[in-house]
Amino acid sequence: MLSSILRIVHNKKVVPFVFLAPFMTIFLIFKVYPVILAVIMSFQNFQGVQSQEWVGLTNYQNVFNLVRFGQALTNTTVYTIGTLLILIPLPLILAVLLDSGRVAQSTLFRTLIFLPALTSLVVAGTVFRLILAEEGFLNLFLSSTLGIRPLRWLETADLALPSLILIATWRWTGINILYFNSGLVNIPRELYEAAVIDGASPFQMFWRITLPLLRPTTLFVVVLSIIGGYQVFVEPFILYTGGGGPGDGGLSMALLIYRTAFTSFNFGTAAAMGVILAAIIFVFSLIQFRFFGVFSKED
Amino acid sequence: MNKRLSLLLLVITLIGTFGVGLVHAQDATDLSLWVFVDRHGLFMQNQAERWNAENPDRPINLTYEQIDYTQMHDNLLASLLVGTGAPDLADVEIKKFATFTKGDIHFIPLDVAIDPYRGDIIESRLAPYTADGHNYGIDYHLGSFVMYYNTALLEAAGVDVDSIRTWDDYIEAGQKVTQDTDGDGTPDVYMASIETTDIFSAYALMLMMGGGTYNADGEISLDSPENIAALQFLQDMVHVSGIARAASGGGHHSPDHFVDLSEGKIASLWMPQWYMTRFPDNMSSVLADVAVVRPMPIFEEGGYTTTMGGGTGTAITDQIDPSKVDLASEFLAFAKLTYESNVSLWTDLGFDPMRVDVYDDPALLIEMSDFRGEIPFTYIKAGLGNVAPEYTGPFYPEIATIFQTTALYDLIENQKSPEEVIAAAVAELSAMGADVGG
Repeated sequence: MLSSILRIVHNKKVVPFVFLAPFMTIFLIFKVYPVILAVIMSFQNFQGVQSQEWVGLTNYQNVFNLVRFGQALTNTTVYTIGTLLILIPLPLILAVLLDSGRVAQSTLFRTLIFLPALTSLVVAGTVFRLILAEEGFLNLFLSSTLGIRPLRWLETADLALPSLILIATWRWTGINILYFNSGLVNIPRELYEAAVIDGASPFQMFWRITLPLLRPTTLFVVVLSIIGGYQVFVEPFILYTGGGGPGDGGLSMALLIYRTAFTSFNFGTAAAMGVILAAIIFVFSLIQFRFFGVFSKED
Repeated sequence: MNKRLSLLLLVITLIGTFGVGLVHAQDATDLSLWVFVDRHGLFMQNQAERWNAENPDRPINLTYEQIDYTQMHDNLLASLLVGTGAPDLADVEIKKFATFTKGDIHFIPLDVAIDPYRGDIIESRLAPYTADGHNYGIDYHLGSFVMYYNTALLEAAGVDVDSIRTWDDYIEAGQKVTQDTDGDGTPDVYMASIETTDIFSAYALMLMMGGGTYNADGEISLDSPENIAALQFLQDMVHVSGIARAASGGGHHSPDHFVDLSEGKIASLWMPQWYMTRFPDNMSSVLADVAVVRPMPIFEEGGYTTTMGGGTGTAITDQIDPSKVDLASEFLAFAKLTYESNVSLWTDLGFDPMRVDVYDDPALLIEMSDFRGEIPFTYIKAGLGNVAPEYTGPFYPEIATIFQTTALYDLIENQKSPEEVIAAAVAELSAMGADVGG
């Protein structure tokens, strides 16, 4: 009996599945099943587990009727673009600098820049409230260096997204440096040596060697940033203690989904919004892949 | 031998069954409770001890679990939805309560348990936790609005705090108190700070004028003339008479607002009685020599003298063992509505009680060092002449969210007219499927 089981398990065709089983089980139960359930819920009037009825596309109609949906979508898109504009170039440059060997104590800097990723966001939220306060550190810094009049960061709708992007920069720069760094390590050093012999300037080397060869890493970071940007939830939730900030200037899609589900108790509409959000992220990722030539055969 | 063994087994079984049954009858009934404020849990445990002393034949064993505010409400909602995992009793905050009354209500009606006490309490306090004519929760406090003044700032401007009786008096005094001390063109001391990211400043005025989010018939009444007038009054305080400013950080609980209060930049604010605890807790008693509590100014003679703000109702979930329902309901009413418990609401929690007769108890009439050594409850009681009720309904949480995010921001920061602000709110509620009348 036991030997026959062992024989099956030891079969070369079966073994991979045996090893994959624990992961697949967890993946199916905690990832695939909720996704399928959310899609199903988005077509139902979901009020309690007992009373579900099929309502067709009503939930999707409700989403587009919601006054805040457009605002949340715009906010989230602006936030995502903002994070992309900062969180790709900045970590890239920092990673190249740290990798160049011209920075003393580069390991120390790397650790320091990575620290925010390990910090509790609840603590960070409180600290950032104090930094962003009218008489806080940021205003002090801006007025002493650039002579800018104190801004009411926490009380002005138009300053909500810049505040959130600031927190995102603080939080994600270190992690993105880590990604770029692993990409940099894989670039053969001979290329640089050859370039030096050919008389290339550091900028030329960066532009013609580093950037092109970092393309897979950059694509990876860009896609991750888009997904992260569109899913932003914790930052506004913590900074504005559960809300979207002044005038809902910091309202994100995920925050609106949460509000629809847990304040309005409308799980169907919330699920529909989740499906729409997933579709948006999917489309953007596809465009990215095309843009970076993942589907073409040249690589 | 075999027979004997069977007999022995039978006897053991019988003793086991009945014996355990007997012991069990004297055992306390276990009740579980979820709270998001630890002090609430401790208060309820103290009340359980008092219950056990008075009802030795029906003892209870109350255990509580404290979970963070948002998570507790989400967990409770999820547990009630899936039909398992909820505690016997749970605290539900006033802004969250209506969420739980949408669709099937998973709480047990408390009407019968509350009945014996109705004559003794300010009954309108039950309104926020009432749905379909049934009471589903009992609060921890009355939460009556009072005015907090910094007497040093008032006296410096030549204003006697006790001369302010009406809102007209308040604004007149405010014009003297609001001052640009450093001459840079903007006032450094304001008479009042008002909230733009929370509801208290606005709701108090709306309710005292006879408005509110819902009316007594359970209909949304946002566009009532009283609400428009109240919001206009609030806007005028900031932009016409200029005696008030938006609180730093948007709300009265923002850390930078506490700094403003401590540094003497704000001469007064109106908040519920429970805000008293913020003076020692959040401002280290630095205002102990200048802070006083006074009744709210009134709009007209014979009108409302105050209203209620905030709150947390304790409810019994439908997942409680049916045999425990009566005991739990009786205990809940005992813990929140008896004379002794209402004294404890003040002594243990620092909250203003729901029973009117308690306000003359020596335990409440104490001098408080945090408020210039005065007896705040004489003033709190003086304000309870005509308490404006607050009605709620299914969309109460959404209305609060609209006020906290856009409505008050548009009113104060963007200077939109109250009509415009209310119309936008009504349109948004309508898009969510609310019946907004008209």
